Amino acid sequence: MCKECGCGETNGNTRLQFTVHGYTEDSAKEVEKALFGLPGVLFVHIHAHDGSTTVDYQPGKTKLRDIMGVFDERGLEADL
Amino acid sequence: MLAGRQGGIKMEVRVMKNVLGENDRVAAENQAMFAAKGVYVLNLMGSPGSGKTTLLEKTMQKLKDELRMAVIEGDLFTTKDAERIDRYGVPVIQINTAGGCHLDAPMVQKVAPQLDLDHLDLLVVENVGNLVCPAEFAVGEADKGVVLSITEGDDKPMKYPLIFKESAVIVLNKIDILPYCNFDRTAAREDITTLHPGANIIEVSCTQGDGLDAWCDWLRQRVAETKAQAQKG
Ligand SMILES: Nc1nc2c(ncn2[C@@H]2O[C@H](COP(=O)(O)OP(=O)(O)O)[C@@H](O)[C@H]2O)c(=O)[nH]1
Ligand SMILES: [Mg+2]
Ligand SMILES: [Zn+2]
Repeated sequence: MCKECGCGETNGNTRLQFTVHGYTEDSAKEVEKALFGLPGVLFVHIHAHDGSTTVDYQPGKTKLRDIMGVFDERGLEADL
Repeated sequence: MLAGRQGGIKMEVRVMKNVLGENDRVAAENQAMFAAKGVYVLNLMGSPGSGKTTLLEKTMQKLKDELRMAVIEGDLFTTKDAERIDRYGVPVIQINTAGGCHLDAPMVQKVAPQLDLDHLDLLVVENVGNLVCPAEFAVGEADKGVVLSITEGDDKPMKYPLIFKESAVIVLNKIDILPYCNFDRTAAREDITTLHPGANIIEVSCTQGDGLDAWCDWLRQRVAETKAQAQKG
């Protein structure tokens, strides 16, 4: 984020905090990669052991539905 | 007191959105103008010192007799980079942002009449050196590109994700100094493709010449595609 001009990647971003049930070490890695690959997703952090999953994204570029889809496709249940 | 301050913060966010919206509108106008003339425009971004101007110098050496090129140089205050371009006899327009951290679409619109668009194939806009703000402001380019150099460290893609997501081409420059740095090239490539599946990464050494042919081939291809698109109308 740039103080000079007020522009910066945190503007217009939303941070979501999910709890995801059923991660394995591998599926957590896979989910992290898939989320990062979505348009507008700028940050992902996952703790596989307790399922806590943080996603920073620009809602204008990716829909919440697409994020949920990443969990769904792998049979993971995510609570916001 | 507190309520007033919160109100102020909200206002700022709205003004910011308007600025971005206005920029996008002008960027679309610029883009349509360049596309109609079949001019391929690359918005070249990257940190100060990553090698943007050096890459342009090498590009001009290789392509200036084959493609009709022009350059717009964004710089805070000086004309140093524009002078480097001028030596190659390629038309160059200087934009000084007077401290502004990025170029924007209105700045490019203002100088565009100085370009001979009817006799131009490739326009490269060297943005102000910065890994954050330029990624947010389209200037009317067909593609964004970013130059990341080995000395900046392999953690930069994940620290500055937007610019790597937005860039159609990622030039990994200064690979000649890989042996002297702890830059993990595999990790960096992996992070870039995680952020941007299918990203086009070109490894180059501007000083030794490695990879410059692949870079020039990519430019040739985009120029040809832009021309073909313009002819279709
Ligand atoms: N070792 C090495 N140095 C390079 C390479 N490319 C550029 N440089 C040097 O990096 C410095 C900054 O380059 P410059 O083109 O001015 O970077 P800019 O600020 O991104 O435009 C200069 O001293 C260049 O000579 C490269 O491939 N290898
Ligand atoms: Mg430069
Ligand atoms: Zn800025």
